[in-house]
Amino acid sequence: MPMLEISNLHASVDNGEKPILKGLDLSVPKGEVHAIMGPNGSGKSTLSYVLTGRDGYDLTDGKVSFEGEDIGELEPEERAARGLYLSFQYPVEIPGVPTLTFIREALNAQRKARSEDEVSAPDFMRLIREKAAILNVSMDMLKRPVNVGFSGGEKKRMEILQALVLEPRFLILDETDSGLDIDALKVVSEGVNALRSPDRAMLVITHYQRLLDYIAPDRVHVMSAGRIVASGGPELAKELEAEGYDKYVRAA
Amino acid sequence: MTVQMTLTPAETALLDALDGATGWRAATRAALENRGLPNKRDEAWKWTDLRRLTGNITETGKISIAGSREPDAKLPVTHAPTDMLPRLAGALGGEARIYTLSDGESLSLDLSASAGVGHVIYVVEVPAGVSAQVFERLSVADGGFANIAVLYRIGEGASLDRIVSTGDCPGILALSGGVDLGEGATLRQTTLTFGGKLIRLETHLAHPGAKAEAVMDAVYLLAPNRHADLTTTANISGPDGNLSQLTKGAVASHGHGVFQGKIHVEREAQRTDARMTHRALMLGERAEIDAKPELEIYADDVQCAHGNALGAIDETALFYMRQRGLPEAQARAILIRSFLAEPLDRIRDPQIRDSLLEDLVTGLEVLS
Repeated sequence: MPMLEISNLHASVDNGEKPILKGLDLSVPKGEVHAIMGPNGSGKSTLSYVLTGRDGYDLTDGKVSFEGEDIGELEPEERAARGLYLSFQYPVEIPGVPTLTFIREALNAQRKARSEDEVSAPDFMRLIREKAAILNVSMDMLKRPVNVGFSGGEKKRMEILQALVLEPRFLILDETDSGLDIDALKVVSEGVNALRSPDRAMLVITHYQRLLDYIAPDRVHVMSAGRIVASGGPELAKELEAEGYDKYVRAA
Repeated sequence: MTVQMTLTPAETALLDALDGATGWRAATRAALENRGLPNKRDEAWKWTDLRRLTGNITETGKISIAGSREPDAKLPVTHAPTDMLPRLAGALGGEARIYTLSDGESLSLDLSASAGVGHVIYVVEVPAGVSAQVFERLSVADGGFANIAVLYRIGEGASLDRIVSTGDCPGILALSGGVDLGEGATLRQTTLTFGGKLIRLETHLAHPGAKAEAVMDAVYLLAPNRHADLTTTANISGPDGNLSQLTKGAVASHGHGVFQGKIHVEREAQRTDARMTHRALMLGERAEIDAKPELEIYADDVQCAHGNALGAIDETALFYMRQRGLPEAQARAILIRSFLAEPLDRIRDPQIRDSLLEDLVTGLEVLS
């Protein structure tokens, strides 16, 4: 059984007025990293929001199963507690809430939802120091409000840091490479690769092949007009880089 | 033609209490008979209809004052305040309590009002050069109408931190505050309110310019069926003065918040620096917030600004927090708290600051 199984997924925005996903099928087995590539407007970000349950992104047909459970009706926080994690393309600024406080409250909320004990303050500090070191994130940054005044690269590092602390079962990386220079891309990729594990899977959503040089996928899918129109091995990403999306846009 | 106004039972009871009054008290009685209690036909009260809500409160109530110390003196009120409510407090509140603060003093006053109508008037003197703090906590029982008037006189070069907090208020509270600021003096005022059946908190600042500085900050958080009205006026009469006002609010459906702020900069008040900001969150579709920020400037070399912004909770931030595992109610509470905390964070006394921030968190728990 695949970890994530999406079948015939239809989804709309604007109260069902605007269909974006039109019969999408995808399965991602445990331990694998899959990439979804596609032109702008093909529905990649919508897919990430539908999977994580954002209000306003309505599943109108089809099914999303995570570890055998239909999660289509679950609240975003319930999906998070089951281990679904979205690294945002544009991480949100939350003035007045220190990053450290935010991550600790999120971790403990998830643990509580899973009937696990809360992490004590000293244990949390040990944990976050260890993970922050992997991503070159300073304690000074962690004391600042969530993402406020951070550069694009710093925001993406914070997304991956949160993933390292929350240890989700399944990561969705939405355009994680956007806005990153080559050094930041390397640091972020190292963080992501540290999360690779036989018990975890990932969906890497990207417009460009560049990120896949650092996070090598097991499978590559091409998305166009709300569906997966081609799937293949890592060589498919190279082909897209060389030839562009034209033939898939036409095929859709 | 004079339109005869039908008096409410509350007004009739007040007139009875003023029977046989002389001097300014008699004038107060006549004005009450003529115009009634403040109501929505008065421009300054158009969003807060005190007359309607006090209508049937006729019995005499009591306002108990538990202070960290007794007043230095109790004196008859000989001069009439200007506005109707402080006039009534002066006429019917007995002798004025006078507190003269010493350097470094921290005075706390807990005023709690029973059902029925109660009046209190007190004066706080901060002599020249003295630094002090006053913490006023107010509550009014169900069926109560507490009319409280206070005058602060802050002497030359003196400094006052004033914190006002209203607790449980199923009743009606009107707090009218006058502040006379001396040259080179400092006022730092912070108000926290969760509203009541009706709460009106007024501050009228007489600001001399003259290197004096005033901060008037406020926070309101209103559950359903709670009303809070924060009204301030500031008259700046001389050059080189500073004034800064930050009011933040959040109102649930069927709650009603009012902010009225007026800054009047006289012709002589050159080089005034005055800023007024009001920002509020509507927490539900049936929330009501009315705001009226006003700047009247007669001097030509000033820096004055006002801003007023109403909005809803940032849905993107809410989703981001829920995606990380925070339940919706908790995520909302964190966002509202972080929005409202800013004025409270500026309170200098750490114990009072923490206690008000705790009250805020408790208020948010009640809301969710």
